[in-house]
This record gives sequence, structure tokens and C-alpha cells, in this order.
Amino acid sequence: MRTLVLLWAMTKREAIELRRYAFDTVMQLVTIYVVFLLIFFGAKAFIGGAARTGGTLPGIVVGFMMWTLAISAYSDVSFTLVQEATAGTLEQIAMAPLGLPRVLVARFLAGLGFNLVIQLALLLLMMATTGQWLHLDLLSILPLMAVTVAGVFGIGLAVGGLALVFKRVQSVMQILQFAFVALVALPLDRFPFFKYLPLAWGNHLIGRVMIDGISIVRIPGPDLALLLAVSVAWAGLGLAFMSRLDRVARSRALLGHY
Amino acid sequence: MRGDTLLEIEALTKVYRSRRRGDVRAVDGVSFRVGASEVVGLLGPNGAGKTTTIKCLSTIVRPTSGRIALDGVDAVRHPRAAVEKVAAVLEGNRNIYWRLTVRENLEFFAALQGLRARAVRASIDELIGRFGLGDKARTPARMLSKGMQQKLALACAFVKETPLLVLDEPTLGLDVESSHDLRVHIKEAAAAGGRTILLSSHDMDVVQDVCERVVIVNGGRVVTDDRVANLLELFGARAYRFTIAGPVGGPLGDALRVRFPLLDARSDPYRSEIDVELPDGAGFYDLVDILRESRSVVESIDRRDPNLEEIFLKIVTQEAPQGGAR
Ligand SMILES: Nc1ncnc2c1ncn2[C@@H]1O[C@H](COP(=O)(O)OP(=O)(O)OP(=O)(O)O)[C@@H](O)[C@H]1O
Ligand SMILES: [Mg+2]
Repeated sequence: MRTLVLLWAMTKREAIELRRYAFDTVMQLVTIYVVFLLIFFGAKAFIGGAARTGGTLPGIVVGFMMWTLAISAYSDVSFTLVQEATAGTLEQIAMAPLGLPRVLVARFLAGLGFNLVIQLALLLLMMATTGQWLHLDLLSILPLMAVTVAGVFGIGLAVGGLALVFKRVQSVMQILQFAFVALVALPLDRFPFFKYLPLAWGNHLIGRVMIDGISIVRIPGPDLALLLAVSVAWAGLGLAFMSRLDRVARSRALLGHY
Repeated sequence: MRGDTLLEIEALTKVYRSRRRGDVRAVDGVSFRVGASEVVGLLGPNGAGKTTTIKCLSTIVRPTSGRIALDGVDAVRHPRAAVEKVAAVLEGNRNIYWRLTVRENLEFFAALQGLRARAVRASIDELIGRFGLGDKARTPARMLSKGMQQKLALACAFVKETPLLVLDEPTLGLDVESSHDLRVHIKEAAAAGGRTILLSSHDMDVVQDVCERVVIVNGGRVVTDDRVANLLELFGARAYRFTIAGPVGGPLGDALRVRFPLLDARSDPYRSEIDVELPDGAGFYDLVDILRESRSVVESIDRRDPNLEEIFLKIVTQEAPQGGAR
């Protein structure tokens, strides 16, 4: 019950901020879109006509979408924590009876809904601009996206926790965003252990749905199980790490400083 | 103390470990109690440990040792259960969301506490009215004046419906009028809701106005815990001003200073004022004897009424009233 109240409050706050700062929101989308165009047409010029048959360009569309989705989920926790600490509201949310980790989960879930909608809108725009029409099987895509991004959320929690205690980790935060590029861009057959990192395997499965047109029910069970297990493991590790660092921050009185 | 104990702090200690500066004992064995519906001031000079104590109560700082019970809940062992009993407005923090309006902030903080929007609608309306935020209910917090923002922060603490509120320097940085305004709101809101309030402040007017009792800490320890009225009476009864004709100098001055090293005398050629604290009867007659020996003409003897500020300064500079004649 309380969790629902919290989730509702977070969703409402998120909606208010998106609406009230609609200009910011739109500018962010425009920036993402422009970056996408640069990457896409850059890649097209670079690879040349061969790619049109090779399936690389659709891969870029999917990978880019997953990357931006990952970054928004990741920064919803990590940067939000830094922001709240700087603004002086972190101590207030740390006083929530549900505890800081659960507040952050609620924040993530609230953000997730909006991020998915925004990503889909961007995706349509990207497909329209590039003429790369992919399979938009929402019932298959949305669950895969949500589960994939939960793993990234775990990383965001861990980094956010580090920020609580060690403060100056903004550079690490930024670098990690680019590390995510590797996870969506590098081929899994050459880096098989990437499967066990967040994002990579989910990105692969979503590619199968969107590019190869396979429905989620036709994806082999073990493949789905791997995605779920990896995401849950990373999210769980992130939560445990964050809870630990939350306690450290409280015993060193660090929540109020940034 | 009225009614039951709502807050109980026992031997609270917080040591900040630092490799560079060595360990700091910010709070060093603090114990005190606050009864239900009491409004208590937590006073002390800079670095005395007020904020640390308040943050320990609010569970955002974990004590090194000691016990804190909030309405019977152990705040050290069960911090999550304990934060249901306490709301805090912290020093120097914003405490509220800049981008949300007054009403949205109130709704958000109520929900953070687990209260449903429908259940708190009436109390939000009431708080908006009580804190004079009616015209601004739809204004984002960042556009409010500093005084208004502080009122909103207070309202956001009240909306959580916790029995205990801790306010760390709530009037800091406010102008005279806003500070006065805020005091009135604190008093009214406390009385209306039957809330228990622990408030720290460097502004003794605020404390004297709002608090029934004060706990004074210095160097991490409690040095005084008494009702404001008692303190005023205790110190008031002992402070005298003797006005005598002529200057105080020569043998008279020496004799006075030997017997009362801390006395404060001001003279001009025609008249002298001697301010002195005389905690026991003997001191009074000793002084009178010295004056008689020098054949001074006593024009008047007055009891002085000290204010809380003077009392506070005396206590924290260790001129404790028990210190004997001075
Ligand atoms: N996070 C921290 N790490 C190390 N030392 C700290 C920390 N916070 C406070 N201190 C130290 O603990 C002592 C008590 O500080 P505290 O802020 O509790 O005092 P205060 O009574 O609130 O003072 P003020 O009136 O200036 O607000 C000070 O010596 C302070 O330097
Ligand atoms: Mg302080």
C-alpha cells in the first residue's frame, strides 16, 4: 500500500517536471535525435551500400534506442541522487519510512514508464527519417526493454551509492554512459561474456524481435531466462550495494554534504 | 514536562572519525527527555553538537553509541519504524523541491511518508491557510521569498503528521518580520496539532518566545536542562545593580575586585554603577560591608532582569550560577 502511494507520488512528480520543463524535455529529445542522425548517416557513409543488405543499419537503430533508454534509466538514479544531495532534498527522502533504496526503486519505476513512451516516440521518428522500418511488436518489445533496463538500473544504484559516500564520482558516471555503447555495439559472438553484463543480451533479444520479426513467445526459454536472471542479479547487486553505502553514509554523516 | 515522554535520549554519542583531523566527539553522552506536546529549545554555541543530535534523532546520522526512543520506538535499532514518528526541517537545506508548487510539495512529502492524497487533502488546505501560503499555493517553490520557502518547509514537516518535529535553526537567514511571523506559526501549529517540537536556534528571542524549556549543550554535553521561566528567575534573583554616588576607585575599587573578581563597574565623576551577581546572601552583605567601610553613598539597589541571551552566554562561558560569589 505504502509502496503504491510512493510510486504514485514519484510518477506524479516526474510528470509534473516533464510538463513544467517541457522545453528542456524537448531539447533533450532533439539532441538525442541529432546524435542519432550523425551516427546513423555517418555509419551509412562509412559502411557504404554493402550495409543495406547486411543488417548493420537496423542494428544501429535498435542499439541506439537501447543505449538512450539505458542512459535515462541509469541517470534516473545516479544523477538524481547527486542532484538531490546538491539541492538539499536528499536528507528528506532518506527519512522516508520505506528507506532510501525503495524510494530509488520507485523513482526508477516511475521514470521507466515515461522513458518507454519517449523512446517509442523517438524510435518512430528514427525509423521515419531513415526509412528503416522495423517490427514494432510492442507486446514483445516492452517487456524485454523493461527487464533489460532493470540491469542497468542496478549499475545506476551502485554508482549512486558510491556518490553518496565518495562524492566526486561524476566523471565515473559519465564514462560509464559510454561504456554502455560497447555493450550495445560490440558483437556478442566475439565477446560472449558480455551476455552476463547488463544491456548486451537484452539488446540482442530485442534485435531478434525488431529486426528478425520473431515474437517473444518464439524466443527460446533459456534465452529469456538468461535475460531475466542477469537483470535480476545486477539489480539485486545494485540494491544490496546501495543499501550498504546508505548505511555507511549515515554512520559518517555524509547524506547532507555534497 | 506534561504527559508521557515522547522523546528520550540516553548517553547519545557521535564520534566522527577522520584520518586527517583526528576524531571529533561531536556529541558526547547527551541525555534528555521531551514530554508529549512540549516545545523544547536545543541551544548551544557553534559546533556544540545540536545539528548532529538532531540528525541522529532523524535517523540520517547513525550514532556511535547511546539510545534514542521516539514515542517508544528505538531509533538506532529500528530507524525505519522510528522515522514514522519524526519529521525534520534541517539547517541550511532547501528541504523542499524547487520545481514543485507549494501544494505539490505538500502532497509529495505526505506521500513520501505513506499518506494517501485523499487522506491529507483537508490537512494540506489547513496548513496552506495557517502558514499564509494561500495566494501562493500554485507557485513553484523556487519563486517564493526565503521566508515563504521556510514556511513551506515547515508545512511539509507538519503534513507528515508525526508526533515529533525537529527544527534546526528554522529562522536562520530570515528578516525580523519573517522570523516573527514564523514563530507565531510554529506556536500556533504546535498548539493546534498537539505536536511535540524540538527546536534549535541561535536566536534567543525565538527560543524565549516559543519554547517552554531549554536544553543547552556545549562541547557535545548537556550543561543545562531547565524551564525558561526557571532560568529567568534563577538568574534574575541574583543579579543586582548598585548605584552609588561618586567614582569607584582607589581602595574601594581594589577591595571590591578582590572580593568580587567578576563584577562590572562603570563610573563617571558623579555616579557609579556596579553590576554584580550575588548567588548567596553572604555575598550581598559582604558587598554592603565594603561599601560601608568606604563610606559610599548608595543611591539605589536594583534587581536586574536578565534575558535568555545573557543567561545563555553565562552558561556556555561556564559562569555557572553555582560558581559562588563573583
Ligand atoms: N560530517 C561531519 N564529519 C566530521 N565532523 C563533523 C561532521 N559534521 C559535524 N562535524 C563536527 O561536529 C561538531 C558538532 O557539529 P554540529 O554541526 O552538530 O554543531 P552545531 O551545534 O549544529 O553547530 P552550529 O551552531 O554551528 O550549527 C563540530 O565540531 C563539527 O565540525
Ligand atoms: Mg547546526
